[in-house]
Amino acid sequence: MKNRGIWITVFLLPTFAIFMLIYAIPTATVVSTSFFSWRGFSGEMQFVGLANYIEAFSGDSSFHEALTNTLVWILLQSTVHVTLGTVVALMLAKKPFIWKLVRTSYMIPNIISASALAMIFLNVFNPNFGIVNSIIRALGYKDFSINWYYDFSTAFPTVTVSWLVYAGLVTILVLAEIMSIPESVLEAARIDGATDLQVDTLVILPMLRNIIGTCVIVSATSMLKEFELIFLTTKGGPADLTLNLPLYLYKTALIENNFGYANMIGTVLIIMGIVSIILISRMFKLGSSDV
Amino acid sequence: MKKKRMQITTARVLSNIFLVFIILISVIPFVWIFLSSFKTNAEILESALSIPSHWSFDGYISAFKLSPLHKFYVNSIIVSLFSTAANVFFVGMAAYVLARFEFRFKNAILLLFSVTLLLPMTSLIHPVYMVIRKLGLYDTKLGLILVYAALGLPTTLYILRSYFLSIPRSLEEAAYVDGAGFFRTYVSIIIPVAKPGFATAAVMQFLMAWNEFIYAIVLTNTQNNRTIPVALSYFTSQFSFNYTALFAAIIMVSIPSIVIYILLQEQVVSSLTAGSVKG
Repeated sequence: MKNRGIWITVFLLPTFAIFMLIYAIPTATVVSTSFFSWRGFSGEMQFVGLANYIEAFSGDSSFHEALTNTLVWILLQSTVHVTLGTVVALMLAKKPFIWKLVRTSYMIPNIISASALAMIFLNVFNPNFGIVNSIIRALGYKDFSINWYYDFSTAFPTVTVSWLVYAGLVTILVLAEIMSIPESVLEAARIDGATDLQVDTLVILPMLRNIIGTCVIVSATSMLKEFELIFLTTKGGPADLTLNLPLYLYKTALIENNFGYANMIGTVLIIMGIVSIILISRMFKLGSSDV
Repeated sequence: MKKKRMQITTARVLSNIFLVFIILISVIPFVWIFLSSFKTNAEILESALSIPSHWSFDGYISAFKLSPLHKFYVNSIIVSLFSTAANVFFVGMAAYVLARFEFRFKNAILLLFSVTLLLPMTSLIHPVYMVIRKLGLYDTKLGLILVYAALGLPTTLYILRSYFLSIPRSLEEAAYVDGAGFFRTYVSIIIPVAKPGFATAAVMQFLMAWNEFIYAIVLTNTQNNRTIPVALSYFTSQFSFNYTALFAAIIMVSIPSIVIYILLQEQVVSSLTAGSVKG
C-alpha cells in the first residue's frame, strides 16, 4: 500500500501531541522542578538539590500529617474497602432477588461527581439539620449534636467513611469475574457436599486472585487522587487532621504559589503510585495464570 | 439434612439484611437530598426527617436565579461532548494503527501511552496549568476539552485497541483490494464495525468529563468557562444559607450521571472492567 508510513504517522500524531502536552512534559516538569526553589509566578528558579525533600521529610509537620493520612487511607482502602466489595459480590453471585437493585444502587455514589457526593455528605453530617444527627435524636438522644466534619475526634473517620464503604466498583468488577466461572465447576463442588461458604472460600475466592489484585491496585491508587471529598468538606482540617497529599499539593501550588515544593509533593505521589502498583502486583502475582 | 437447610436459610436471611443495608447507605443520602430539594429553607432547617409539605420547584428556580447555573450547565455539556468527541476520534485513530500495523517504535509508543494510566493526575496540576497558560488556553473551554480528552487517553486506547484487534483483517483487505485508501478504509469500514467499542469508550469519557472537578477548578476562573461540579463549591461560598437551591444544584449535577449509568449500564460496566483490568 502506498503512503502507509505517512498515514500511520498522521494517525498517531494527534494522540502523541496530547500525550506530550498533558503527560510527558508535565511529568518531566514535576520531577525536574522538585529540585528547585521556585516561588511565585515571577519568581526565579534556583537549584537546591534535595532541599525540598529534606525539608518535607524532616521538618514539615503538615507534610508528615498528609503523608501519614494518605498511607493510612491507602491501607484501609486496599483492605477493608476491597474486602467489603468482594463480600457483596459473593453475596450477589447467588442471585438473591434484590441482586440487580443492589448492583445498581451501590454504584450510585461511585458514578456521580465526587463534588456532588462531597456536598451530599457535608449536609448528611450537618450538626443541625443533617440526617445522621436527626436520626440519632429521633432515637431518643435529644441533645445529640456532634459536628462530624469539624470535631477533632470525628473528622478523620467521617471523611474516611465517605469512600471506604462505597465499594460498588469493586463489587461490579469481582461480580463480573465470578459470573465468568463455569457453572459446572461450582456444581461439581456442591455435588461433593461443599456448603455455600466452602464454595465461596475454597472454590471461588482462589479463582479471583487476579481481579482482587486489580481491585486492590485501583482502590489503593485512588487514594493518591482523592481530592473533592476532603476539599469540599473539611478542607484538610481541623488542624491538618484530614489533610492528604493531593490537597496539600493543591494548597502549596495554588495558594502559596510555592511551585518547587508542590512539585516535590507531586513527585512523591508519582513514586508512591509506582511503588504501590509494583508491590501489589508482586503480592497478588498479577499477570501469571492460575494453572 | 434439615439442619443444613436451616443454616442455609439463616445465612441467606443475614446476607439479605446486609444487602438491604448496602442499598440503604448508598441511596438514602441521595434520596434525602432529593426530597429536601423540594422543601423550603425553613423546612430543611426545622426537621431533616419530614416530608416536604408541598412539592415545589422553588429550590430549582432559585438555584437558577442565584447563580448562573444555566451557564455552568451549558459549559459542562459543551466541554463533555467535545472532549468525548475529540478523545474517541483521535485516540481511536492511534488505537487503530497500534492494533493493525507493524512499524518502528510501535511497542515503545504503546508502552508510553499505557503508562499514563499509572500517573496520579493530581500530581500534575501545576505543570498542566503552566502548559495550558502557555498555549493561551487558560480559562477557556478549549483548554478543558484538551485536558479532558487527554485524561481519557489510556482507557479509550485500551478499549478501542482491544476492539480493533477482534475485527477480522479480511474486512479491510477486501477494501484495499477494491482500491480504497487508508483513511477511507478506516472511516467507512472500521468505524462502523467498531461502533460498540466507540460507544463504550465514549460513555466512560463523557462521565469522566461531566464529573471532573480538580482540573476544572485549576484551569478556569470565570463563570464563562466553569463547569457544573465547580458550581457546587460556588454555592457553598456565596449562598450558604439557601440550602434548597444548593440541594437542587446537587441533584442537577448528579441526575445526568445516574441516568447515563442506568440506561447504559452494560457499556459502563464493561468499560469499567476494561479500564481497571488494564491497570
